[in-house]
Amino acid sequence: MSIFKRIFAAGLMAGAMSVAPVHATDFTIGALFPMSGLNASYGDIFSSGANLARDHINADNLLGGKLSIQYEDSQALPQQGVIGMNKLVNVQKVPYVLSAFTGVSKAISTVAARTKTVAVNGGGVGPDLADLGPFFWNIIPLANYEVRAIIPYLIRERKAERFVLVYIDDPLGQSIRKELEATLPGAGGKLIEALSVPATAQQFGGIAARVRAANPDVIYIASYGSQQLQIIKQFRDAGIKQLLASYTAFSVPEVGTQPEALGSVYTTQFIDWNTQDPVTKRFVDDYKRKYGKMPTAYIANYYNAVRLFAMLASQLQKNGKPVTGENLLAQRIETKTFDLVGGKVTFAENGTVVMPMQVNEVDGKGGKVVSTTGTK
Amino acid sequence: MLAYILNLATLICINAVLAITLNFIMGYAGIFSIAHAIFFGVGAYAAAYFSMHVSASLFLAVPVSMLVAGLLSLVLALPALRVRGEYFVAASLGLQVLGVTVFSEWKSVTGGLGGVIGIPPVELFGHAITDPVQFLLLTLGCLLPILLITNILLRSSFGRNLKAIRDSESAAHAFGKNVAAIKTLSVVISSALAAVAGALYAFYLGFINVESFMLDTSVLLMAMVIIGGTGTLLGPIVGTVLLMLLPSLFSYMWFLPQTEIGAIQQIAYGSAMVLLMIFRPSGIVGSRKRSNG
Amino acid sequence: MLVLQLLINGLQVGALYALIAVGFSLIFGSTKIFHFAHGSAFTIAAYVFYYAYSVAHIHWLPAILAASFATVLFGVLLDRFVYAPIQADEGSFFTVFVASFGIGIVVQNVIGMIFGRSFVSVATPLSRSIEIVSGLYVSPLSGIAIVVALLFFFGLQFFLMHTHVGMGLRALSENPELIRAYGLSPRRLSTIVFALGSLLVVPAAILSSADAGLNPAIGHHVMLISLAATIVGGVGSLRGAACAGLLLGMAENLALLYFEPQWSEAVTFIVLFLFILLRPSGFFGRAIAS
Repeated sequence: MSIFKRIFAAGLMAGAMSVAPVHATDFTIGALFPMSGLNASYGDIFSSGANLARDHINADNLLGGKLSIQYEDSQALPQQGVIGMNKLVNVQKVPYVLSAFTGVSKAISTVAARTKTVAVNGGGVGPDLADLGPFFWNIIPLANYEVRAIIPYLIRERKAERFVLVYIDDPLGQSIRKELEATLPGAGGKLIEALSVPATAQQFGGIAARVRAANPDVIYIASYGSQQLQIIKQFRDAGIKQLLASYTAFSVPEVGTQPEALGSVYTTQFIDWNTQDPVTKRFVDDYKRKYGKMPTAYIANYYNAVRLFAMLASQLQKNGKPVTGENLLAQRIETKTFDLVGGKVTFAENGTVVMPMQVNEVDGKGGKVVSTTGTK
Repeated sequence: MLAYILNLATLICINAVLAITLNFIMGYAGIFSIAHAIFFGVGAYAAAYFSMHVSASLFLAVPVSMLVAGLLSLVLALPALRVRGEYFVAASLGLQVLGVTVFSEWKSVTGGLGGVIGIPPVELFGHAITDPVQFLLLTLGCLLPILLITNILLRSSFGRNLKAIRDSESAAHAFGKNVAAIKTLSVVISSALAAVAGALYAFYLGFINVESFMLDTSVLLMAMVIIGGTGTLLGPIVGTVLLMLLPSLFSYMWFLPQTEIGAIQQIAYGSAMVLLMIFRPSGIVGSRKRSNG
Repeated sequence: MLVLQLLINGLQVGALYALIAVGFSLIFGSTKIFHFAHGSAFTIAAYVFYYAYSVAHIHWLPAILAASFATVLFGVLLDRFVYAPIQADEGSFFTVFVASFGIGIVVQNVIGMIFGRSFVSVATPLSRSIEIVSGLYVSPLSGIAIVVALLFFFGLQFFLMHTHVGMGLRALSENPELIRAYGLSPRRLSTIVFALGSLLVVPAAILSSADAGLNPAIGHHVMLISLAATIVGGVGSLRGAACAGLLLGMAENLALLYFEPQWSEAVTFIVLFLFILLRPSGFFGRAIAS
């Protein structure tokens, strides 16, 4: 080849290499939330937390490239969830998916296991969510812990002895019932009545009559969504004045602003909203600035889920490993403890977290903390 | 992308089986059942239970689920078919609601509201089918014979009897046809074949729960049959493809608010049902006038 | 005491069910149209009232009028623009049913899009129960419900028995041709029936919005009750539909004495089944052929 051609060829190659983009790859993760249907309000809540995390991560340039979240509408239904999951895994090829609602989570867990995609749940608390395989992680403490956290408070601070449980007859409700039956006697309480309701029930006048007839000190409600609001309202209307207690489901804004719910208590993960811990403080401040109100535990969970991805992915990048589901899992097992909103969180082997819990009271202003318990 | 299409295609085939079997009784026998999702569910739960406790072989699980659904429909149809059309609608509505309650409460078999998880992949001659392409072929392998069977039945004298009953029950009776027996038989066939779809669904997802078998599903199936065109052979298939592709279609329309896609989809097929009934009651495939064939 | 409480709850719930059922039975009995969108009329009435009273803060009287107007308009428009064309063309029972069903789906989702799918309720002190005797709680709303139901029934009875139009309506279900011979128009009577039937759900809808609360899917439950009550009471009998509605409301509540709450909806349907299988003509219905 003549010298000119060689220089020309070298120049071409150099030019090609300098034109080829040298920045790190962008990342996409998936989210399967109910964006329409009866539970769309949950989708709004969850995505607000996830989006804030994405914005923080991109602002900090934690990953070198841009992080974006691809949302698919699960409508909180298993079949739709599977279709959405397939789209995320096969079309967008995401390594990491945010999941919500127990039924959907269970349906997609098979796809997750088969395709080695990580799925993270930040909303459902059914104990059966712990058994969905190594690729299914739960960044929210599951129901048994919630019940165990509130019983001592109710018995000691509220002097409650007689408990009545109103629950939806699904694995979550059943596990809460089992937990109450197992833990109450030893703690000095008694479950005098357990009333199960269908998930679609709207009229609670008759059940209220039965509850009143049982004469409890406190009523534990294991429901969610619209139904719990109706239970609270109709119970109060029916003259039930006793204390109402529940799990994280009561942390939604609709319960927070419902006049009949005033004074009710519920457990959530322990998050000191006023802490000086930089991660939490930034989350709370920015959320307040953007939405004009305090965040809640659900929002923090999905913020954490996205943040967790960024932390794992950046560690993998530093070690020169590709960001795949398998590597994310391995990294999580290796690192174990993470700095998330609320403090340091440790993952157990089976992908669940144990966190300190707090008991909140509905005060119409976002809830106030009345008690905290250590890890159990 | 291919896997996504395979996923959609498989679900379309399963739903097509349901639409075809519903059309068999609705379009041809004039039996208006709004409880078809229950037989879908019975087939799914039966196949799940059987494959988890006895055997996951295709040639055992599917006939078992057909048997269970067929027997159940027999028991229910015998008394219910004695009453006139609109009473049957009410009865089937009641069956749908009751069925959902049973599915939610019979925890030992159906897992209650939590559903059944960990259904093993179906086995064909000892070979477990996990590959999506193979499963799609299997589903087509079930859809086509069912299409064939219903076709043959409808062209036979049985089919003519059905249409006679649909057009005028009293006239058919006057001709000496055993109306009750024919109607019962058609319901049993329809339910048993719907159970095949249920079994395929259970094996495909590996997880089933009551949310897939509620009134909304029965309504969607009814919409598929009606929009496609009752009493036609292609109608249910057209209706199925259309209604299954709607959500995906809408989600690609970026100008629609993402949070309302589900509602928009339902409004779309609700409106389609109304407009079709006013202007073209025989559906998309059906002829302009109510045909006699 | 529990029994008495459940009885009273059942009475209140039953009164509202009876109103709804009579509306449906009137329409179905007179026109033979399976008006599945009756549940949608209820939803529209409830949400219009909710919007007018709780969101726009209009005084309750105009709010009630607004809800009534909207609901009656809905019923009439449906009759004029959906049912009439279908019946003019070919009008089989099922075609009408399917169209009505489609309307139900559309209304539910449109309301869901406008108002959200979450639970809303009208806040009023009237829904708070007062302890009448020890262990017995009744809310003013329950009392209002029963009184309103009775008023409407007697009003309806008077209308059907003693007015020209009313008698025309009763004749409509028996013999549409004869009506023409007397100079009345079946079409116009049909519109009146829809207006009346839809009006009957308005009080029940308004009272429900303050008592049990609303979400866009309540239409389903309303429809199921209407259907069950109409059949159990006997197609063509308004008295039967009212009694059956009352019965279903009471059964739903009294069942709680013995059964777990998740079976209470099933109780309604078991009752319905038994009637369909053993006595399809219901309590007061005319015997049906076949």
